[in-house]
Amino acid sequence: MAMDVIDYEIFGDDIQYVEVELDPGEAAIGEAGAMMMMQDGIEMDTVFGDGSPQQAGLFGKLMGAGKRLLTGESLFTTIFHNEGSGKRRVAFAAPYPGHIVPIGLADIGGTLICQKDSFLCAARGVSLGIAFNRKLGVGLFGGEGFIMQKLDGDGMVFVHAGGTLAVRDLKPGETLRVDTGCVVGLQPSVNFDIQYVGKLKSALFSGEGVFFATLTGPGRVWIQSLPLSRLANRILLSAPAAGGRQVGEGSLLGSLGSLIDGDNR
Amino acid sequence: MPQGGAAGGTTPPGTVFAVRAFGPGLPVPGSDGELIVHSAELVVRVQGTTWRAPLRELALREAGFGGPGIELAWGKGEERRALQILDPARANALLAHPAILALPQYARLRRRQRRHGFGRGLGWTAVGVFLALPLLALVAFVLSADRLAGWVVGRLPTAVETKFGRASFDRMKPTLELRDSGPAFEAVSALGARLTAGSRYHYAFHVAKDATLNAYALPGGIVVVHTGLIAATKRPEELAGVLAHEVQHVELRHSTKSVVKELGLSALWAFVTGSYGDSLPARAAREMTGLKFSRDAETEADRQGFAALVKADIDPSGMPAFFATMEKTVGDAPAAFLSSHPLSGERKAALERERAAVGSRTFHALPGAAAWPPAP
Repeated sequence: MAMDVIDYEIFGDDIQYVEVELDPGEAAIGEAGAMMMMQDGIEMDTVFGDGSPQQAGLFGKLMGAGKRLLTGESLFTTIFHNEGSGKRRVAFAAPYPGHIVPIGLADIGGTLICQKDSFLCAARGVSLGIAFNRKLGVGLFGGEGFIMQKLDGDGMVFVHAGGTLAVRDLKPGETLRVDTGCVVGLQPSVNFDIQYVGKLKSALFSGEGVFFATLTGPGRVWIQSLPLSRLANRILLSAPAAGGRQVGEGSLLGSLGSLIDGDNR
Repeated sequence: MPQGGAAGGTTPPGTVFAVRAFGPGLPVPGSDGELIVHSAELVVRVQGTTWRAPLRELALREAGFGGPGIELAWGKGEERRALQILDPARANALLAHPAILALPQYARLRRRQRRHGFGRGLGWTAVGVFLALPLLALVAFVLSADRLAGWVVGRLPTAVETKFGRASFDRMKPTLELRDSGPAFEAVSALGARLTAGSRYHYAFHVAKDATLNAYALPGGIVVVHTGLIAATKRPEELAGVLAHEVQHVELRHSTKSVVKELGLSALWAFVTGSYGDSLPARAAREMTGLKFSRDAETEADRQGFAALVKADIDPSGMPAFFATMEKTVGDAPAAFLSSHPLSGERKAALERERAAVGSRTFHALPGAAAWPPAP
């Protein structure tokens, strides 16, 4: 099956959604729960596995579904296809603050390795697989675990990551050191490894951890500025209900004041 | 990891390899190109241009996520160029090319791969051992659970056992129809008192209205006998035999041991699996009613019970006699006592030996034989 060529538009600044335009007969696959809105004429179909054509037969489907379980995705994928006569639009929303990056798989050689859970939607025909990290050190300390997601095909994919996204082009042999947990995606030509920060003092007190992730070119990499877990940690730490300090109301009456203004719920 | 030599030996010299090329003048994500390896240099055709590089300047390394492919790189700084083959089969074919095989870089790559392979194996082994440790602890505990439970129970004061038995009995009480008065209760209490004289436990005997042939003992000295069992006995000595057996379960702390073992195992299981599904007290209460002891425990209770009968001047032949009656299944009443106290061949043989040892000694007849079985 040929890949569907889809037009898209990304809306929003820091909490974005992507609107995909489908010609009659075209389809897009979305991560379960990512759909935000769709126009009349778009039919939704839920399939077991990732809906790519090579998964014929029950066994293939089970394998595909099992892979999706490993990467933390739902067992099912939803296919949105345009059954109408004109162009129709369907929108997919990001689940937390960050940015949506469109990546044309054809432009980067057909394969993208990305953080598990970062897949948002894609043109039909893109297959979602797993990439198993065989380097023990990278799996344990690289911040991405042993299993990453592999997107194969030549269509458009949309991945989502936290904060602001940086795209870096690495020349052959060029190395970029990245905070662990910030690697969103990489071309398979890039070498992903870890490196000791170098000094015991830095390892203990710099707050950067004991290891950096290193990405060595050639190829393109995508880096996020704010992993979700870091954001969640900050929110939890400053939640008054969880023992954080309430600031910003500045009332002389203290907790009595918040009682009066009704913010103390 | 590419392994040396493709299946059919070496790759023929003129082979054209499809590669992904990276370097100046090409887009960063690379372009598809064609590679031909000659004896001293390689030639790459990509995007209408031709690259040439002497083989001795090449750097070889594993490439691709997880390292199934191969990379050839050369040049310095801005002029650095790289070729990659990520498909393992095609990468192996390139490595099997005679000109590549002859390179000293190839030998270095192989050495590096071997070293990494060894380190990786070591690392994975360490991870495996670490993950298997709780499981090994569980197995070790299960294997020595009986000994451990015995050790713990040996240090448990009888007061704790009594308290535990009472608490379990209080939980069971609502489901029991106790008949703690009348001739049957009197008979059970009188026999029980005779069998437990001088014990460190304070015994309490109960009769429960239940047609099943069953009797059981809780830790600390609570013994419950079903009316169905009393009705099935033919003479007081048979009831005495059952009571002697149950009393020995208390004296030998069998139920306490099995509860401690069960609790310890479930606590360890919860620790290993991280799931605290069943509350421990509920489990303990359930354990009480469906008590099943090991065959050793049953044989031990038989033997000690037999001795206790002899000591109390009660004819011990009632014990094997009642077990024989039970085996023939009286009427349509389900013989629950047998299902929780399975009569094995060894047990019967052991009982026979005990009886032979007693020989022709005569015992005083028990009172109440005329009006047996007593009404509840």
